[in-house]
Amino acid sequence: MGVGEGGVPSDLLTNATAMPLPLPPPLIAGSGEAVASPAGVQGAAPHGRARRTLALLLPRLPVERLRRPGPVVVWAQRGARRVVVSVSAEAGSAGLRAGQALADAQAIMPGVVLVPEDPAGDAAALNRLALWCLRFTPLVGVEGEDGLLLDITGVAHLFGGEDALRAEMLRRLARQGLTARAAVAGMPGVALALVRGGWGGVVVAGKQEAAVRPLSLAALRLDPALVSALQGLGLRDVGSVAAQPRAGLVRRFGAGLARALDEALGHAARPISPIRPPPEMQVARDFADPVATRAGIEAALDLLLDALCRALREAGRGGRRMLLRAHRVDGAVQEVAIGTGLATRDPQHLARLFHGKLEGLEPECGYDRITLEAPVADPMAGVQNGLGTTGRSARREELAQLLDRLSQRLPVWRLAPRASHWPERAVRRVGAFDEMEDFDGWSARPRPLRLLRRPPFIGAMALLPDAPPSLLRIGREAHRVVRAEGPERFEPEWWRDRADRKLRDYYRVELASGARLWVCRIGLVEPGGEARWALHGHFP
Amino acid sequence: MSNPPNAPPLDRPALLSALRARIARLERAGASEAMAARGEDAIPLSPAIDAALPWGGLPRAALHEILAAEPGAAAGFAALVLARAGGTVLWIAPEPDAWPPGLARFGLSPAQLVLVRAARAQDALWAMEETLRCAAVGAALLVAGALDLTAARRLQLAAESGGVLGLLLRPDEDNAAPTAALSRWRIGAAPSDSTSPHAIGDAAWSLDLLRCRSGRPASWRATWHGSELVTEEGAATPARRRA
Repeated sequence: MGVGEGGVPSDLLTNATAMPLPLPPPLIAGSGEAVASPAGVQGAAPHGRARRTLALLLPRLPVERLRRPGPVVVWAQRGARRVVVSVSAEAGSAGLRAGQALADAQAIMPGVVLVPEDPAGDAAALNRLALWCLRFTPLVGVEGEDGLLLDITGVAHLFGGEDALRAEMLRRLARQGLTARAAVAGMPGVALALVRGGWGGVVVAGKQEAAVRPLSLAALRLDPALVSALQGLGLRDVGSVAAQPRAGLVRRFGAGLARALDEALGHAARPISPIRPPPEMQVARDFADPVATRAGIEAALDLLLDALCRALREAGRGGRRMLLRAHRVDGAVQEVAIGTGLATRDPQHLARLFHGKLEGLEPECGYDRITLEAPVADPMAGVQNGLGTTGRSARREELAQLLDRLSQRLPVWRLAPRASHWPERAVRRVGAFDEMEDFDGWSARPRPLRLLRRPPFIGAMALLPDAPPSLLRIGREAHRVVRAEGPERFEPEWWRDRADRKLRDYYRVELASGARLWVCRIGLVEPGGEARWALHGHFP
Repeated sequence: MSNPPNAPPLDRPALLSALRARIARLERAGASEAMAARGEDAIPLSPAIDAALPWGGLPRAALHEILAAEPGAAAGFAALVLARAGGTVLWIAPEPDAWPPGLARFGLSPAQLVLVRAARAQDALWAMEETLRCAAVGAALLVAGALDLTAARRLQLAAESGGVLGLLLRPDEDNAAPTAALSRWRIGAAPSDSTSPHAIGDAAWSLDLLRCRSGRPASWRATWHGSELVTEEGAATPARRRA
């Protein structure tokens, strides 16, 4: 990488990057070495081991993600001006730089390719890269529009140390055609300040402040007006700003500067907001030859499921959600997620759930790494075979597996009773796995078996305005009413209903054919007005 | 299990029925375990109907077709069968409109009922087949339109392997195709016995057994009284229409 490491004495580096680059273990084992990380390693900094963070800066991402040959410039409209936003390396060496007027850039280099900016595309590309970075550590966060923060606590040894991890990451990014700068430090804010200040490397825990102090003010990522104001005072690096009395600084430039200083110097914590919650369990497998066929993916999935379920069993847990993440050779990352109603660690059941969804993958040139993680794992006691309860719990599990399979493709729910006399609110939808207690508060009067979701309006004739109907007109057919019971008046629930809801008078009617219907008159009949009737259900 | 009957070998009807029972047991070998766990393998409807059915009731591990001449009556009959099948019951429909306050009257509690919405016919068939193969389910109902013979046969085989009772609720159409289901019913509404124009009385249905494997078509008029199905004597006439 053409990233300078100047400006900082070399004794700050733990060990020079000149050491031979060892391949990380997951890559050596082409057959794949499944690595299960125990629950709770990531997240909060564990005791006894300092937290380590890697910050990654992609200064030329808007240009390089286009993958165009030759000099390229991305420009944007800023008010009345057209300015250069990002330049490729070739264009940069010719003297073009971000912030230049577009006309100047064209004058300097007439043959340059101009591309209008696309912030949404840049953000998507950065997000894709963040997903790709999940191959290094489970906790990755996006910083601004060109930075990534990786929590590498406890994972560096898998790649042969922090230096090797950093070098490996930069090497792989370079293979994707991306210019990047990476710095490793204890606090996320320090690492971020280092890369923003133009420095790349590894800083040991005790020397963070010393590493940040000589950096330029760009490391703080301040407002340009504030930077020029500080420079006007002769404060040109982080150290000289930090040396000023804090009270005056805050009074004059606001608390934002103090906050940025504290974060950059490692005095204040800066949280990483992860793009994916760190999983409780994860297994991974690398492939020397990319896997591209369905059969290959299924075989890999089976191996991963076996490993993950074994790890879950050892931890006494069962997964509620599973996420398969496939890293394609070209850097794209695809994800397939499944969910189960009850915690499970049955590889065959999980494999069946996944098989229906693997069609969503697009392994064009193949996957070189597939990971499987359980983002949510619940405690799950083991079941001993041969006990009296085995049969019942096996039945329950079998039913849960059926409902899992169905709910992968279709909406599945149960209806739970609710304390409301209003017909539409008598039940509410709950998940298929929710516990439900028995309920015997139903009305003693007959109720229809099927409640029409969209009750049609019907015509009705009654001898008197408030008498039961004697003739119903449903569609184009007229039906004579032989028997009618009612009315049963339903008052709207004023405490939860809208104000203009009308009361209903329900009648149970039997037609000459024997059909029994639940019809209602909506509202009170005004003198001279027409009553509105609706068919709401079918009686047995 | 397969002992030859002790009766004299010349009693041909007894021999034939024993062989039939043996073949039926062989055909449902996969389901026998699931059914043994549940105790009985036929659901009683009412004494008169049970006597007319060769299995002494509506058998599990089979598919039964219900043609709905009247939606309410057909849903009532289906709810009755589902409730008597016991266990978890799945209701698969393009727009499931089952309403527990009414179903509770047939003894089907909301804790038993799972609803599945399948807008497309192929999804509905897949869901039904998966359900029928699962021995942990008591019964399943599929609300469907026309169904070809292959699909129905698949469902019947699935029900046999899982030991689950499957109901197929279809609109009553004259061109109902031949079916692979074990029995076909047409359920319509009948005028109730109530003498007053202000009380609609007990639900009354006309039950037509249109087709029944190794049985004869028959018709009943039944009323749902309290918690039992009361059929009227002497109404067992052959079905009006053969299917």
